[in-house]
Amino acid sequence: MAKKIFSITALLCLLLSTRAYCGWPTRPGRLIFSPSISYFTSNKDWDSLARRRVKANNGTFTSTSVNLYAEYGIVRKLAAYASLPYISYKLRDSINVPISKSGLGDAELGLKYYLANINYKYYFTLQGTAVIPMYKTQGLGYAQPGGELRLGFSGAGKLGSKFYSLSIENGVRKYFGEDGPLQDRYSASFGITLDKKFHDQLTAGVSGIISASSFTAFTRNIFTARDYEFTQVSLSYGHTFNSSFSMFLTASQFVVGRNTGIGTNGALALIYKIDNFLGKRVDY
Amino acid sequence: MLIQKKRFFFRQIVIVLAMVFMSMLLSTSAFAQDEDGEIVLTSTPAKKDAIFGANSGIVFNINLQNKFDTKQTGTVGYRVLTLADKEVTKRAVNVSIGKKGSKSLDLRIPEQAAGFYKVQFTVNFPEYDDTVRRVFGVDPTQIKSENSKPADFDSFWEKTLEELAKVEPNFKVEELPDSSRDNRRVFSIEMKSLGNLTVRGWMTLPNTKNSRKKFPVLLGLPGYQVDLKPMFGSDEDLAIVVLNVRGQGNSRDRIRTLRDDYIFTGLEDKNRYVMRGAIMDCVRMVDFIFSREELDHDNIMVSGGSMGGFLSIATASLDHRIKLCSAQNPILCDVKALPGKVTWPLKDFSRYIRVNRGLTMNRLLDNLSYFDTKNFAINIKCPTLMGIGLLDHLAPPDNEYNAFNNLQVKKHMIVFPNLGHEVAVYYKDYEGRWMRDTFALF
Repeated sequence: MAKKIFSITALLCLLLSTRAYCGWPTRPGRLIFSPSISYFTSNKDWDSLARRRVKANNGTFTSTSVNLYAEYGIVRKLAAYASLPYISYKLRDSINVPISKSGLGDAELGLKYYLANINYKYYFTLQGTAVIPMYKTQGLGYAQPGGELRLGFSGAGKLGSKFYSLSIENGVRKYFGEDGPLQDRYSASFGITLDKKFHDQLTAGVSGIISASSFTAFTRNIFTARDYEFTQVSLSYGHTFNSSFSMFLTASQFVVGRNTGIGTNGALALIYKIDNFLGKRVDY
Repeated sequence: MLIQKKRFFFRQIVIVLAMVFMSMLLSTSAFAQDEDGEIVLTSTPAKKDAIFGANSGIVFNINLQNKFDTKQTGTVGYRVLTLADKEVTKRAVNVSIGKKGSKSLDLRIPEQAAGFYKVQFTVNFPEYDDTVRRVFGVDPTQIKSENSKPADFDSFWEKTLEELAKVEPNFKVEELPDSSRDNRRVFSIEMKSLGNLTVRGWMTLPNTKNSRKKFPVLLGLPGYQVDLKPMFGSDEDLAIVVLNVRGQGNSRDRIRTLRDDYIFTGLEDKNRYVMRGAIMDCVRMVDFIFSREELDHDNIMVSGGSMGGFLSIATASLDHRIKLCSAQNPILCDVKALPGKVTWPLKDFSRYIRVNRGLTMNRLLDNLSYFDTKNFAINIKCPTLMGIGLLDHLAPPDNEYNAFNNLQVKKHMIVFPNLGHEVAVYYKDYEGRWMRDTFALF
C-alpha cells in the first residue's frame, strides 16, 4: 500500500554563519549591519624587489580602523551595500617625530547582482562598487574616486559529518586621477562548522591586492601606497549567537609581497541580520 | 580407591569424547559453510540513474564474486522485459571464476525504443543460481501517453472550485502551547471544505522576536491513509502547514472507510469521488494560508509523497497561488495505462466492481481520468520537482514520466534506480535548496 513518504525539508547549509560581505545573494527585505574593528601593525617591509627589510630606524606603522557596513536585499537578485571606515594610523621611528592621522576613509557604495547558481548549491554574484573619498587631504587614502567590478563565487555543502562554506572573489578596481592605481583584489576562504547546530565555524582564508601605478616609489603609509603587491593568510573563528547575530574574530599575516609593509592584522566583526526590515508589523 | 580411579578414567573418556564430538561439529559446520557458498552479483548501470539516451548503448557493469572454495563455471546473462512483462530480448555468456575470486564484465543490451524496461540479470552455475531485478529507462522524455485528457476536464474542475468557493471556510485556529518544541509554536487548524465537511490540519511557526517577519510556507500533503501530525524541525524561516484531507487522520468525521476502501470511495460517480473533495481540502488550506497575516502569501510550496505527491500536483494545477511544487512518487499517473503493470489500486477496484452491479473497470478508469496526475500536470504554472524510484510497484516510472512530460514549466526529475516507492535523502536536500533559492531565503 502507498507508503508514507513525508519528511521535513532538510535544513540547509545556507544556515552557516557566512560573513555578510562574501558572495552570497542577499535575501530581499533583509538588512545586514556589520560594525567591525581591526588593528594593523608592521615593522618590516618588502622592497620593490620583494626583499624583506626591517623598517629604517626601528620604524613601525600601526593603524586602527572602525568600519560600518550595511547591506539590504532589494529584490531576489539585487542588493545594495555601503561601507564607511574611520581610520587612525601612526608612523613612528627612533629619529623622526611621529606622524599620525585620523578621519573617515574611502566610503564604498555598491550593488550586488545574483548572476547564477550551480545546483542551488554554488552561487555567482557580480558587484559594482563606487569608491568615494570622505576626506580632503592626502593621508587617509588616495583622495581619488574609484570604481570596482567584482565577481563572487560562494557555496556550501556537507563534508563528512561537517558542513563547509567557501567563497572566492576577484575584483578589479580603478582609482581615477593622476597616478590612480589599477588594482586586482582577490580573496578565497574555506570554512567548516565545528558543531551540528552551525554555532561555531572556523575559516581559513587567503587574500591580497596587486596594485599598479605610474607612481612606483615606496610609501611608508599603507593607505597611500600605489604600486605594490601583497598576499595575506588568515584564520577566522565565527560564532552564531542566534539567527540574527553572529561574530567573527580574525587574525591574518602578510606572507608575500612587494613594495609595501609586512603586516599583521587582528579584527573583530559583528553581524546583525534583520529580516523584513521595512515590512509591516504583524500581530502574532 | 579403585572405584575412584575408574570414575576418573570414565570422566576423562567422556571429556575426550565430548571434545572429539565438538571438533567434529565445528569441522562439520566449517564444511557446511563451504557448501553454503554463493556467487554475488552486483549490477551497475553505465548511466548513474539508469536512464540511457536514444542512441547510446545500454550498458551494465556486472561484478561477480565467487564465495565458493572451488572454481565456478557457468553463465551470466540478462533478460529484458517491458513493464507489462513481455519479453524483449535476452542473452547469456559463459563465465568462469576462480575460487574466492571475482570477475567484472560489461553486458551490452541492444538499443531500445523510448520507455522503461525491466531487466533480470541471472547467474547460472552448477552449484548456484540467482536473479537480480532492475529497471532502466531509454529517452523517457519522449514517452507519450496514449490516453487523452477528458474534454471537459477543465470545466469539471472549474465547477468544483466554484462549488468550494460557496462554502464558508469558518477557519478555527488554536495555539497548543503544551505541544510547542524545537523552538516552534504549534497551532491546530479546523475549517469547512467542499460539501461542508470539516477537515483539520496543523501549523508550526518558528518563535521569533521580529514582529515584521513573514514566513514562507511548506504545505505538506498526506500519503494514503496517513495521519499527519504537527511537523517540527530547526528551520527558522519556514512555517510548516500540514493537512489531513477528508477520510484521513483527524478529518474522519463523515468519511470513515476501511483502509483499502478509501481509494475507490464514490468512484462510481466522478462528482462523488473522495479525491474530488480531498483535492478541494488542499485548495481550502491555501485559502487558510492566505487568511494569515504572518504567512508569506507569495512563497508557498506544496510537497508530498505517493498520494501526497498526487495531491501536490493536483493542488498546484488548480490553485496558482502555489509557487513551487514537489511530488515524490505521485500515484494515479496515466491511470488508463496502469492495468497490467500494478496490482494496487486495481485489485481494490476489481473488488469494488464485484459488489456493485453494472460497474465496470472501464467506467471506473473513465471517472478516474478526471483525477489523473498527468492531466493535472498540464495546467501547472509553477516550477515543479519530481522524484521517482525505478522499482516502484505502485507508481511505474513510465506512468510517472507521462505526468512529468506534460509539465510545461521549469521542472526537474530525480530518478533513483534502486528504490521502489520512496525517494532518498538526496531528494529532500535538493528540494530544500531549490525551495530556498526560489523563495530567496539566502
